[in-house]
Amino acid sequence: MLWFSLLVLIPLAAVVVKAGGGGWETFVDAVTNRQTFAALRLTVLTSVGVTALNMVMGTIIAWVLVRDRFPGKAILDLVIDIPFALPTIVAGLVLLSLYGPNSPVGVHASNTRVAVFLAIAFVTLPFIVRTVQPVLEEMERDFEEAAASLGASRLTTFRRITLPTLAPAIFAGAALSFARGISEYGSLVLLSGNLPYRTEVTSVRMLSYLEGGDTASAAAVATILLVVALLAIVTLDVIQRRVARRG
Amino acid sequence: MASQTVEATRTRDPHPRSTARGPHEDSPAVKWVMRVLVVAYLFFLVAWPTSLVAKNTFANGFQGISDALSDPDVVHALKLSAIVAVAAVLINLVFGVGMALLLVRFDFPGKRVLNALIDVPLSVSPVVVGLALVLVYNGRYGWFGPWLEDQGLQVVFAKPGMIMATAFVALPLVIREVVPVLEDMGDDQEQAARSLGANAWQTFWRITLPGIKWAIVYGVVLCLARSLGEFGAVKVVAGNVGGESTTAPMLVQQKYQNFQQETAYSVSFMLAFAAVLCLIVVALLRPKEGDKK
Amino acid sequence: MSIEVRNVTKRFGDFVALEDVSVSLPTGQLTALLGPSGGGKSTLLRIIAGLDTADEGTVTIEGTEATNLPARKRNVGFVFQHYAVFKHMTVAKNVAFGLEIRKKPKDEVAARVDELLRLVHLQQFSHRLPSQLSGGQRQRMALARALAVEPKVLLLDEPFGALDAKVRKELREWLRRLHDEVHVTTVFVTHDQEEAMEVSDEIVVINEGRVEQIGSPDDLYDKPANDFVMGFLGEVTRVNGEAVRPHDVDISTAPVLAGAAQGTISRVLRVGFEVRVTVLTDGGEEVTVQLTKAHANALGLHEDQTVWVSPNPGAVPAMSRAV
Ligand SMILES: Nc1ncnc2c1ncn2[C@@H]1O[C@H](COP(=O)(O)OP(=O)(O)O)[C@@H](O)[C@H]1O
Ligand SMILES: [Mg+2]
Repeated sequence: MLWFSLLVLIPLAAVVVKAGGGGWETFVDAVTNRQTFAALRLTVLTSVGVTALNMVMGTIIAWVLVRDRFPGKAILDLVIDIPFALPTIVAGLVLLSLYGPNSPVGVHASNTRVAVFLAIAFVTLPFIVRTVQPVLEEMERDFEEAAASLGASRLTTFRRITLPTLAPAIFAGAALSFARGISEYGSLVLLSGNLPYRTEVTSVRMLSYLEGGDTASAAAVATILLVVALLAIVTLDVIQRRVARRG
Repeated sequence: MASQTVEATRTRDPHPRSTARGPHEDSPAVKWVMRVLVVAYLFFLVAWPTSLVAKNTFANGFQGISDALSDPDVVHALKLSAIVAVAAVLINLVFGVGMALLLVRFDFPGKRVLNALIDVPLSVSPVVVGLALVLVYNGRYGWFGPWLEDQGLQVVFAKPGMIMATAFVALPLVIREVVPVLEDMGDDQEQAARSLGANAWQTFWRITLPGIKWAIVYGVVLCLARSLGEFGAVKVVAGNVGGESTTAPMLVQQKYQNFQQETAYSVSFMLAFAAVLCLIVVALLRPKEGDKK
Repeated sequence: MSIEVRNVTKRFGDFVALEDVSVSLPTGQLTALLGPSGGGKSTLLRIIAGLDTADEGTVTIEGTEATNLPARKRNVGFVFQHYAVFKHMTVAKNVAFGLEIRKKPKDEVAARVDELLRLVHLQQFSHRLPSQLSGGQRQRMALARALAVEPKVLLLDEPFGALDAKVRKELREWLRRLHDEVHVTTVFVTHDQEEAMEVSDEIVVINEGRVEQIGSPDDLYDKPANDFVMGFLGEVTRVNGEAVRPHDVDISTAPVLAGAAQGTISRVLRVGFEVRVTVLTDGGEEVTVQLTKAHANALGLHEDQTVWVSPNPGAVPAMSRAV
């Protein structure tokens, strides 16, 4: 408990206090700084996009992992976890080797916003898959069959039964995925080129504040990031409740 | 909702219990489309790029790796990474299990809040983690830093800070592995032990610990994988003190940016190899536990 | 007295689980705590064991003031409804646990474990893991484990509740015999009145956190202290406003009994050796009468027949005495 406070709570509080200590102006300055604003916008928009993609792809992947059977599925299952276990800097390098200057397929995405999207999609891949998978496993097939035998079409079954049951897991995973997306740093360092206004993300921006000794601005941006993450988690929670109730 | 979320980060049994095939099969066309879509997506996003790292590393056979290993910077960085990771894992092991016990077995005010906060390290930018630690433990203007410095303990820009940053980032992994198992186990066995005369320590050591043994192993392995590769938070805390405090992931960045791509790939490969090895260990251990039930 | 519970009250938040409960149980006796689910039986048992603490009141075990003693120092054996076996230990290790905690010499432990496994007929399973045992075997192992430390009292919380009917019946007879052999003061919780009546020397009826009645199985059945006990221990029907057991109702085809109520048979149901007759009296009561097949045949009972019913004079209607 004390250790948790010393390690996590107090330091995070310090960030907020530091940001607050600079007064409102630091916030305003940080946000109205065009470069910072561009970085925030890029980070948030890309994360929203990636999260939306993950909600679809993650659910499909989980579905295939649970319902389908084919040789090599176990490997697929392992592959899902690679982005989570791989050091982020290595993740960047990994993507660079396929989508970078020496790409064997001739795609050259490094230093573009596509690269930012790719990197975030890579590191957030496991989240929704791993939240949906256990729910899907537990959801008895009978349950669906019961609905089908009551005369519901497959689409209706999916919309009225499967989706509402999965919704909490999907949105919980989405919250994690988004939070992870807006905070991504390591995989972008090498891949995105960190071009101001174009491919620079918030974490990189914070680091350059830090390297320039401007802790107050860094703390202000950090606080904004924390607030955005919190807002996203709350919003997704609310949507999830709506969806669950409608089902 | 926090509690269900981090299940996400748990590696699952790679052979999920197969669902009984009823008369209601998914149509084959849908199945094939889904299968191909998933395999292609994972192949292009994860599998192919990852395998390219291996390919680039071994472009000249083992030359790349042996060159890298003869570079003192590389050896130093790998050693430092290992030390930091092991220390962080040990810390997380002790506190992770302790906090999991606290969360499951005890009632106290603020428990729900604590439960929600456990996940925070997973969703905070590593740069913010680094910044947070610097603000508190910095030797000059941190909250506790100056006092600790007077005690002769430098935290930030030194190993303790790097260990703390790593521990911070990987803390939820052990907790989230252990908590569901503890909940599942219930406290029946512990009560039985107490009624048979065991004290708290004996109960923990002889009853609780064997029950959560595997969960701890998974937690530790995942935690190790994560700790070896932590980059952003450690980088901020380590500062720019030069080679002394360069960990392996930081070295990858430096080498890559200095156009020593071969070394960068070699070190990356070693890190990736360690990470994938951890995953395989967990994947292999998991079904074994299932058999024992 | 082996166990003395005095004025114990236990609350969970606003909810009163036990209210001013006092029970004293003599050494060597087998007592059942009987009552409906949620009545507070487990709570009382856990307070005796020290697994929960009372908000008010005291617990004395074999003359030792135990109210504030932790469970591990009370020297009670506790058997849980869901066995609470140590999953990762063999049967022998499970039974040895308490002895090893007490740092008994190895050979002594081995001898005692052997003796106990013999007692519960599990000697050939000593090296198995609990997961390889059936429910009944697990529960016997749990019992051996509890007995290993030679507890002053043995407490069992619905020990057979999770087993199927046949095993349950076997084990309850076995428990009775075991108790006659070992003679340790035993308290067991059950919500099954048949189980309580069959096994125990004395029954404590608990309902909504209060003791309703304490007595021998016969006492409780024949002289229930109130409506609740009477209803809980067996079926009840009403004749002329008096509560009686259906087998204590006299039925005749002619008005020979003084004060008998006249009525019509609405249903005749044959269940094995017994016949259950439902009579609708002219007074508007629905009386259930239970009689043997031979008796029913002799009377030639059939539906829509006019009959007279009255409480058997030998069966003292409980309620007239109760309040
Ligand atoms: N730990 C607890 N917290 C809150 N309520 C409890 C707890 N334990 C028991 N209760 C409540 O106390 C009442 C009595 O429980 P219990 O003693 O288990 O009943 P019984 O064993 O007779 O079925 C029940 O209503 C139960 O819900
Ligand atoms: Mg109970």
